[in-house]
Amino acid sequence: MATGADVRDILELTGAENDGPISKKDLINSDKKKTKKATETLTFKRPEGMHREVYALLYSDKKDAPPLLPSDTTQGYRTVKAKLGCKKVRPWKWMPFTNPARRDGAIFHHWRRVAEEGKDYPFARFNKTVQVPVYSEQEYQMHLHDDGWTKAETDHLFDLCKRFDLRFIVVHDRYDHQQYRKRSVEDLKERYYNICGKLTKVRAASGTEPKIYVFDAGHERRRKEQLEKLFNRTPEQVAEEEYLIQELRKIETRKKEREKKTQDIQKLIKAADTTTELRRAEKRVSKKKLPQKREMEKPAVPETAGIKFPDCKSAGVALRSHRMKLPSSVGQKKIKAIEQILIEQGVDLNPMPTEEIVQMFNELRSDLVLLYELKQAHSNCEYEQQMLRHRYEALLKAGGGTGCASTPGGDAQAWPSADDIKVESKEQIIDVVGAPLTPNSGHISCSISSVLKTK
Amino acid sequence: SSGGMATNVGALVFDIGSYSVRAGYAGEDCPKADFPTVIGVTLDREDGSTPMETDGDKGKQSGTTYYIDTNQLRVPRESMEVMSPLKNGMKLMFEHYNIPAFFLCKSAVLSAFANGRSTGLVLDSGATHTTAIPVHDGYVLQQGIVKSPLAGDFMSMQCRELFQELNVEIIPPYMIASKDAVREGAPASWKKKEKLPQVTRSWHNYMCNCVIQDFQASVLQVSDSPYDEQVAAQMPTVHYELPNGYNCDFGAERLKIPEGLFDPSNAKGLSGNTMLGVGHVVTTSVGMCDIDIRPGLYGSVVVTGGNTLIQGFTDRLNRELSQKTPPSMRLKLIANNTTVERRFSAWIGGSILASLGTFQQMWISKQEYEEGGKQCVDRKCP
Repeated sequence: MATGADVRDILELTGAENDGPISKKDLINSDKKKTKKATETLTFKRPEGMHREVYALLYSDKKDAPPLLPSDTTQGYRTVKAKLGCKKVRPWKWMPFTNPARRDGAIFHHWRRVAEEGKDYPFARFNKTVQVPVYSEQEYQMHLHDDGWTKAETDHLFDLCKRFDLRFIVVHDRYDHQQYRKRSVEDLKERYYNICGKLTKVRAASGTEPKIYVFDAGHERRRKEQLEKLFNRTPEQVAEEEYLIQELRKIETRKKEREKKTQDIQKLIKAADTTTELRRAEKRVSKKKLPQKREMEKPAVPETAGIKFPDCKSAGVALRSHRMKLPSSVGQKKIKAIEQILIEQGVDLNPMPTEEIVQMFNELRSDLVLLYELKQAHSNCEYEQQMLRHRYEALLKAGGGTGCASTPGGDAQAWPSADDIKVESKEQIIDVVGAPLTPNSGHISCSISSVLKTK
Repeated sequence: SSGGMATNVGALVFDIGSYSVRAGYAGEDCPKADFPTVIGVTLDREDGSTPMETDGDKGKQSGTTYYIDTNQLRVPRESMEVMSPLKNGMKLMFEHYNIPAFFLCKSAVLSAFANGRSTGLVLDSGATHTTAIPVHDGYVLQQGIVKSPLAGDFMSMQCRELFQELNVEIIPPYMIASKDAVREGAPASWKKKEKLPQVTRSWHNYMCNCVIQDFQASVLQVSDSPYDEQVAAQMPTVHYELPNGYNCDFGAERLKIPEGLFDPSNAKGLSGNTMLGVGHVVTTSVGMCDIDIRPGLYGSVVVTGGNTLIQGFTDRLNRELSQKTPPSMRLKLIANNTTVERRFSAWIGGSILASLGTFQQMWISKQEYEEGGKQCVDRKCP
């Protein structure tokens, strides 16, 4: 509820006694004799410019000192208020004016401040126009003649260009297609830029090479045709395109996976080969019992095969058995496999860690892991090969049944409703030919490829 | 500075439509006067001739009075005919009224300006026509304009037929002295006013039309998807009472009638099915434009006109357009939700344009008109 003090505050009249909020005493004891104010209430003037509601929110509860450091509030809360009524009004006058942008010099009237009498109409400077070249009759006859265009039509084109500031879409819309031929937007642009180019060349001072804007009409036409086709695609076509793109992505990812797999296998094989070579080399050396230096280079054992034991160059004292510890990167299955083989062979699972034993034990375990990986890879490839062979035989039967035989490439048309599995298996067949598998299955793949080629 | 952007030379803006006229001062945000585009002319009893000229002919003292504002027009008078005024030619403006300058602008361009755009497709669905007008850079592309006669008047006609089918007579309020409450669907019970003047047929029809237009505006709704009998049957009904007391719940008819705007193939009263629905009007219009500007047009589809205020119109239009355009096309419908702005958008555009400082050079002054004649309008007005 607005009280008298509030109203005074809103109107910003210089207030009466209290600036602070009304207390209960004042209200209730208004008819009784006014009790003397016991303490002098400290009222704090709100900072000038702060809204009174804001001030009331902050400091209305008790008449405590506002927790503000005295500061200069002239910069903080000051909202720019128009100081109305301070000065005399600047006089306005109904005066006539001419607009320099107009060609007819018409005189209009409007209200303007007396102080600005005589100044130019400020909006005239926004009157910008595009520079459209103007050619003379002579120039036209000499340089701008063209079989497809009459002078009248060229004049019409230029007139429209000037009127519409080279907005060719609008020019094309307002073009007189009945009187002249039906022209496309590219035709109009072509003619216009042609003429501009020729005129700049002709008018340029001799010796200078003027820059000419070359308009490639053919390119524009092709581009628009392409856009039209794109725009007019039916939803089925759009769906088909999306479907094809998805299929392509699937094929690509599968291809990548396969490549990765083959790479892994390759590494394994290489690791296996190099380790066997190393062994043989060592055996030869040890047989000869010659303290020969190993001059041949150690073929680098690919580190992904087997186990890499961390080379601990720890400072201070360390137990040698620490070097025998399997790194945590070795998986449970591999650990199991190692254990199993060691038990089978009757080797102690935790031998005494002398220097030689540690080294050889690590090597042994590394070899065991390598062997395990190879076995796995081998069984995988075998399984894949079996599966593919079955599929292939099934496809052959189906393909032979419908009477369409030929190379896999040609079969693309034979499966119009690109059945997922069929497509995939076809791809597999193609890839099987290319990728080298384990030595054994490579043999079989060669035979398959030869079979396919002869078909 | 000269007082801000608006240099008021004091311009008047007129927007004359086939249903209503909007007029007012430039610089304001809504027209001062909005009245139906009909003139009531009382005929001279004696000679019964109908003066066709507007008040250009000062010599005539025939006592013909013209009534144009809504209140005057709705008072029943004897022999008052209703007609559409002739459009004032420039000649009248300059020579009779002696104005200093004037300018004509296409309403589609102004509607686009009122919505803050200089390029876009303006769909104007008013009383007589639904038109799609492509505007590019402030100029109308005349070769892309597509017009369809399916608009407000078509809706009114369909409503009239509905009442005929229901065997309900349309009684305008001027005839009614009193009415009784009847239950839903029951025939109306009302008493006719005594001592009514003998009104003309045209005026009576006009008043009946007003009743139907009120029904049209209150009850009709466009369904979200193409009309389906079952879906329509489940829509909530709207209760409406005619001036004579007849009241009824309207259900499926609410949706069926405006469906004709979007899908004229099943609409009654259309001979042959060559009419285009609203969605097709828009896509055809855009299709006739250069392919480079099509995304610009679809990105600003401005919806104006009183007929578009039917509930559900813009939603349905949005749906139709998004189905008909390629999925990569960005579609944006601009439709003001207030009645005032959609009906008056052309007027508001004119008000904005006339108060721009940079527009003052484009007026056609009296001098120019005297020198150039009518051709100067073709040249200066886009």
